[in-house]
Amino acid sequence: MPKIKQAGDLETLRQKIQKAQKKFPKTITICGGTGCQASKAGEVIAMIREVILKQGFGKDVYIRSTGCHGFCEQGPIMVFEPGNILYCHVTTEDIQEIVDKTIHHGEVIERLLYTDPVSGKKNVKEKDIPFYLAQDRQLLNYNRLVDPCNIDDYIAIGGYMALAKTLGSIKPDAVIDEINASGLRGRGGGGFPTGQKWTECREEPIDEKYVICNADEGDPGAYMDRCLLEGNPHLVIEGLLIGAWAVGARRGYIYVRKEYPLAVKHAKFAIEQARKYGLLGENIFGSDFSFDLEVARGGGAFVCGESTALMASVEGKVGEPRPKDIHTVKEGLWNKPTVLNNVETWANVPSIMLNGASWFAAKGTQGSKGTKIFALTGQVKNTGLVEVAMGTSLNNIVFDIGGGSKSGKAIKAVQTGGPSGGCLPTSHFQLPVDFDTLSAAGSMMGSGGMVVMDAGTCMVDVAKYFLNFLQDESCGKCVPCRLGVERMLEIITDITEGRGTAEQISLLEDLAETVGETSLCGLGKTAPNPVLSTLRYFHDEYMAHINEKHCPAGVCKALIQYAIAAEKCNGCGSCKRACPHGAITGQKKQVHIIDFEGCQKCGICIGECKPGAIMVN
Amino acid sequence: MLEEVTLTIDDVLVKAVKGISVLDAAVKSGICIPHLCHVPFLSDIGACRLCIVENVNNGKAKITTSCTLRVQEGMVIRANSEKVLKLRKNIAELLVAHAPNSRAIQDIAVRCGVKEVRYPFHNADCVLCGRCVRYCSEMWQGNAIGFVGRGKDRHVEYPFGSRPDTCKKCNSCVLYCPMSVTPCGEVMKTGEEHLCGKCDSQMAMAEKMPGACVWCETGKSFQCARYA
Repeated sequence: MPKIKQAGDLETLRQKIQKAQKKFPKTITICGGTGCQASKAGEVIAMIREVILKQGFGKDVYIRSTGCHGFCEQGPIMVFEPGNILYCHVTTEDIQEIVDKTIHHGEVIERLLYTDPVSGKKNVKEKDIPFYLAQDRQLLNYNRLVDPCNIDDYIAIGGYMALAKTLGSIKPDAVIDEINASGLRGRGGGGFPTGQKWTECREEPIDEKYVICNADEGDPGAYMDRCLLEGNPHLVIEGLLIGAWAVGARRGYIYVRKEYPLAVKHAKFAIEQARKYGLLGENIFGSDFSFDLEVARGGGAFVCGESTALMASVEGKVGEPRPKDIHTVKEGLWNKPTVLNNVETWANVPSIMLNGASWFAAKGTQGSKGTKIFALTGQVKNTGLVEVAMGTSLNNIVFDIGGGSKSGKAIKAVQTGGPSGGCLPTSHFQLPVDFDTLSAAGSMMGSGGMVVMDAGTCMVDVAKYFLNFLQDESCGKCVPCRLGVERMLEIITDITEGRGTAEQISLLEDLAETVGETSLCGLGKTAPNPVLSTLRYFHDEYMAHINEKHCPAGVCKALIQYAIAAEKCNGCGSCKRACPHGAITGQKKQVHIIDFEGCQKCGICIGECKPGAIMVN
Repeated sequence: MLEEVTLTIDDVLVKAVKGISVLDAAVKSGICIPHLCHVPFLSDIGACRLCIVENVNNGKAKITTSCTLRVQEGMVIRANSEKVLKLRKNIAELLVAHAPNSRAIQDIAVRCGVKEVRYPFHNADCVLCGRCVRYCSEMWQGNAIGFVGRGKDRHVEYPFGSRPDTCKKCNSCVLYCPMSVTPCGEVMKTGEEHLCGKCDSQMAMAEKMPGACVWCETGKSFQCARYA
């Protein structure tokens, strides 16, 4: 690989790559993200390569294995150009047919097309799919065009141009002004203005400074950062380079959790390739700016997503937060000024530098600019990664993009922001999603997890789930978080098991305030949010658990009973055979009966009963 | 000549050497801020959160621990405001409910105004204040004990579970442990834990003058800055 010594070299290289890619009349894009790989995309990619080579199409068809497209439920996904045909749920058995029909003759295989669950229609083209149509995919769109293990793909779509422009003609102070003007705020959850953070770090009169990319994403159900880092690592690297130039750092780290092996692999590979092209190292683009990057792998502790714990972990110490009376922009990694931003924040930087602050600020709301990626999961028809402009309402995300309830039960709430966030009821679905509105409503933007819940979800049980998660993931250093969360969980467990009293609600609120106000780090400070938001919006459910000893959603095992409706039971005996506890009795063709004493409320019989005779009271 | 700064703690002007913590400055000036994990000559980790204060800046009050907060010129600190007292009391309640079998913890609870405990008692042996760990590593460079585990599983342990040679059996860890003094009366059995409640005089004083020293057991036995 020739080193890129100046901006002109990059332009020449790009034209060369584009010319080489144009030689292929056909392109197949296959998603090779973690989600699709779990559905055996790896085998599909290997097989289609083999079949195409065998049939002699090697020079006609370009096969690109990309990162996540965001439509994970339909994986593995395959897109054909020209024609923009999208096939979903592709298996190795379909490959021969795809090559014979679609690649050879351009025919569309109906069976593999995507069926819209809302209208029931089949969509041939990728761009016509309602899930994509309602989105504004500024960052995710690149994932479709780029092979994460091939820097040439990224350069072909204009990669590293923002860096060339910045190093060539924009002074560090002007870069920070541009970021400030764009209104970019930290995508990790806090929403701190990125430009302000950079300014404070730049003003520190110390030579040794660091930039860190936080890819320690641990919220249950959220995977935006994984998708970006494993799908398009060069975008993040370019962002880091621009940030390092602006604040005056010479070294950087990408902190990835070990649960993301593909992201670790792709990030390391991308760094290696960037070094070979001279985009990392000494005198980048012939300037006096030198910068190098390293991947630091986390051990999978949720608390290491907190800035000070993350830095301790990079230093090789136990990942525990320390008091932040002095901010990390002044004393961060190795006690040197450090800028720590989330993957998505860094990924937004190159396009801001290329298109200008006003382009970025044109999207979004008063206080929150640009687009944001959300991981839409739970009881909706379309789950996956969703990128929308800030200020899009929850209604749009859940119903237009998500397609509404999957189970047919009414949607009840959406949980935003992971364990630090809260649950918002449907009456708040008209709210525009941005940092300030969600905080005011008692939830949080968080890193962007969105779990949709329907009427079959018990909100007290949800609060219990998150407290359990936080109890396991708390580092245990400070008293309010360690003991306070434990006590909150004790109280909530009492409530879900029918021992709750009305006084416990006020104790819970008092305790929640103490934990939120006095905890050492962000994890503890936001730990009471799931409890407080469910208490605020679903007070009735708590009271039903306490006063009537009744769980309205039929989830809390201690408060429900299974019974067989005599008029529906046809006496088939499948429930009796399935019950692992032998709690169901009855003769053939006679109404069966559940023994309350023996019933462990596992719910297996519900799945077995064809006439739907088993009721939960 | 050491540089001095002037700050306000609970409406009192206090002079303090630049670089020391707000907690040290307050205690040296006779204003008591209850604390547990702080030992004057060891590093502060801000773990027990008892020494929380309100740091008022531009009209905004931020809750932070005074042991980790360095004094600055013109700082305004509220160490015993209504809010702080309430939060501190809740923290002390969590502590005494977790580990009631210690005179020091009982004293802290009384000092912070805990009259009843709203949670079931856990008869724990350790409050994870980390005094032993820091004393061993910072005073003797022993590093013979440390924290192991996360969250609920966090505990103090020898490296890999066996006593290393760097442990000289100096007993400092025991001396500095707040759990090593039995509560008034006798050690409580599991299921019979309660607030010992024998320190009515302390309680009355703490109520009337929240910033005054009540000569508590923590201070006497465990190196309150007042004795240092």
